[in-house]
Amino acid sequence: MPATDTVASSIDLLERRSRRDARDERLFRWLLKGCALLVLAALLGAAGATLWGGRSAFSTFGWHFLVSTAWDPGNDVYGALVPVYGTIATSLIALLIAVPVSFGIALYLSEVAPAWLRTPVASAIELLAGIPSIIYGMWGLFIFAPFFANHIKPWLTSNLGNQPDDGKLSWVAQHVPFVGKLFGSSYPFGASILVAGIVLAIMIIPFISSVMREVFQTVPTRLKESAYALGSSTWEVSWDIVLPYTRSAVIGGIFLGLGRALGETMAVTFVLGNAMTLSASLLDPGTSIASTIANQFSEASGLQKSSLMALAFLLFVVTFFVLLIARLMLRQLAKKEGS
Amino acid sequence: MTDSALATNPAPVAAAAAVAPKLTVRDVHFYYNGFHALKGINMDIPEKKVTSIIGPSGCGKSTLLRIFNRIYAIYPKLEAKGEITLDGENILDPGYSMNRLRGKVGMVFQKPVPFPMTIFENVAYGIRHHEKLSKADMTIRVEQALRSAALWDEVKDKLKQNALGLSGGQQQRLCIARAIALKPEVLLLDEPTSALDPIATSRIEQLVEELKSQFTIVIVTHNMQQAARVSDLTAFMYMGELIEFDGTEKIFTKPGKKQTEDYITGRFG
Amino acid sequence: MSAIYLRRRVTNWVAMGLSMLATLIGLAFLAWILWETLRQGIGALNLKLFTKITANGADGGLANAMVGSLIINFIGIAIATPIGVLAGTWLAEYADRTKLGESIRFLNDILLSAPSIVMGLFVYTIIVLPTTALTHGSTTFSGFAGGVALALIALPVIVRTTDEMLRLVPSTLREAALSLGVPQWKLTLQILIRAARSGIITGVLLALARISGETAPLLFTAFGNNYMAVNPIDKMSSLPQIIYQYANDPGDDMHALAWAGAFVVTMFVLLLSLASRMVLSRTKVSHD
Repeated sequence: MPATDTVASSIDLLERRSRRDARDERLFRWLLKGCALLVLAALLGAAGATLWGGRSAFSTFGWHFLVSTAWDPGNDVYGALVPVYGTIATSLIALLIAVPVSFGIALYLSEVAPAWLRTPVASAIELLAGIPSIIYGMWGLFIFAPFFANHIKPWLTSNLGNQPDDGKLSWVAQHVPFVGKLFGSSYPFGASILVAGIVLAIMIIPFISSVMREVFQTVPTRLKESAYALGSSTWEVSWDIVLPYTRSAVIGGIFLGLGRALGETMAVTFVLGNAMTLSASLLDPGTSIASTIANQFSEASGLQKSSLMALAFLLFVVTFFVLLIARLMLRQLAKKEGS
Repeated sequence: MTDSALATNPAPVAAAAAVAPKLTVRDVHFYYNGFHALKGINMDIPEKKVTSIIGPSGCGKSTLLRIFNRIYAIYPKLEAKGEITLDGENILDPGYSMNRLRGKVGMVFQKPVPFPMTIFENVAYGIRHHEKLSKADMTIRVEQALRSAALWDEVKDKLKQNALGLSGGQQQRLCIARAIALKPEVLLLDEPTSALDPIATSRIEQLVEELKSQFTIVIVTHNMQQAARVSDLTAFMYMGELIEFDGTEKIFTKPGKKQTEDYITGRFG
Repeated sequence: MSAIYLRRRVTNWVAMGLSMLATLIGLAFLAWILWETLRQGIGALNLKLFTKITANGADGGLANAMVGSLIINFIGIAIATPIGVLAGTWLAEYADRTKLGESIRFLNDILLSAPSIVMGLFVYTIIVLPTTALTHGSTTFSGFAGGVALALIALPVIVRTTDEMLRLVPSTLREAALSLGVPQWKLTLQILIRAARSGIITGVLLALARISGETAPLLFTAFGNNYMAVNPIDKMSSLPQIIYQYANDPGDDMHALAWAGAFVVTMFVLLLSLASRMVLSRTKVSHD
């Protein structure tokens, strides 16, 4: 066989291999891209499915669905206001408690604690994030709610509320507006908006504090050192340098926690008391979107089922935007870091 | 590939190769994100010699090397213009098969990068993509490559062990073995000893000396002594331009340009 | 002058004290929750838990729920792992810095914290309703539907870790393989994913830990079953679902069983996160 033929056939082989490689490469790319697009499909699908499921509720009640407090399976009339209020109230209480505590933890772990203590304490706090939410719910139901009813609630109702057991209104209840209503309750159990908010707070503390800790660590050392060199105290450096530098990401972390709180089901369902009524008191039972769905969906049908789907759609859209804001805020810091 | 293309590609004859350059670089420009990194490079790289490229950081020496096997093309927004011919064919031509180019031009990088697999597999992995060999042939081929890279005696008893367990110098020689196992014609070395200690470095330099009888070697180095020790020809680059390209001895003793002289006498860079 | 100093020092002390107090509060609640789970859970542990099924009620165990959990989790991970790894690979290797890639990476982060109960309703709509209609009601809720719901929750975790881990693989490894003429898909599957292997395993373990405790998405997908079910097309019980059911039951015996289930789930989840940490720390050593 002449030498050129061998070369020619080997080049031919090479050509064929190149073509095969190109084809395999294209197939592989499409496979990968398809999988990635499933992420998009999951989000769109969840929104679409709940919107579709809730269509008859939306078309029957229109925008009244959003402002009505009715939830009456007997007359087949439903409104979202009670669960929406419960969702927002519990989440805001959770933030009110979780944000300062998380800030304290992040501050302690990034600026105050001795180096040897930081990793173990941080891991312990992160462990809190790993506990399944149903465990929080059980702990809330069997341990915390009774504890709250026995030890905290009596103090709140008699010192702040407008329905004290002994009938004597406290100074606060008489003179500070709203407080009396917020803490007035004749309901004897612990399960309430406030308790649900507290349990949620414990649940989101590890999320918020770990984001805060991470972003605090991105503050350039030279920035902190130059402040310390001017004689600033740890607190002043944290408040005047670290916090402003990381502001957007800190807000992002808070919104991330809010997103979690809004959508949480199991931690709150047990401790909300599941009352479909609107009450001004934080010590009265209530409900949230997620817990209403969890409690009623299996037995619901017709318009009630559709209303639950509509609630799910509202929840999904709201959490989507809260999380969207959270991620956008967090990205700002990432950009600053990159530049 | 057509027969006419082959006709312009004469069978390698030792005598002819000494005259005809292996790689010719004609007016090569390189841009990334609009930055003009190489400005009209022209050079002829002779066959079976060691050519080194020196110059201060950022002068474009690695960039030039990375065009020789078009490895730059894996990143977006990078663009090379001009002509680089390998045995008379333009490798920058989009029609030039990547498989063929990578089979002909091997490359070794700054840091040793063994694949996360056994020592044997590291060498066999590349071969497998280019040729179908029987198990016995593969064993022979891997041994040959490891012997050529002066690594065989150190690893022959642990071919089945993970390559990440080797020392840095051994890993780099494994990478050389991996590259020469494909039987390339040109071997590109991109600062191959910059991550190694002096002893490992001198072993690699010795190896380069041994390999030049089989391969055309282009080595980028920031270490001028290394260039002086191992290469036959030396190119000096500065700010994206080829300032001077000549015999190594001439460059280091009687440089023709002031910039070259300033650089090799340590006045800058 | 000294008044200013004094005020600043006091402010600092108070702030430092409060930050320590916040940390103590966090740790105290962690301890409280873990302590109660351990105390109540261990008190309720016995052999019946693993041998008897929930149909026996207070005299029964949780065997069917444990088996159900294993099956549903397995289905979830088996679906989410390949899809998640491939999607994460696309983000890191093929779509890095492209518009679509950035958007999907961003949306994946949102999916990571999306309300899981909505994911349950989504799967209810796309799997439970159609199977009910197609089988004329003979198959409605199923372990498989539960698995799909959990897969949707595991997916973003795996996508994200795969993406992050692959981006940690030095680009020199890619260059080295490509310079040998290896095509990119082979490089990706045979070298990069192998190099990032332990990181990806960590992601899968984390995803498993995450879904093991999920309850809400299972309520309307796997539903529950008081008998032992191993066929994924049947209704299936799971530990979190039984915990939910029993904790809502007025009987104290049921509460004890719920605590036992909670103990098992918590231990499983904590061991998983411990395991994932160990895998990850081993990676770091081998990378140095």
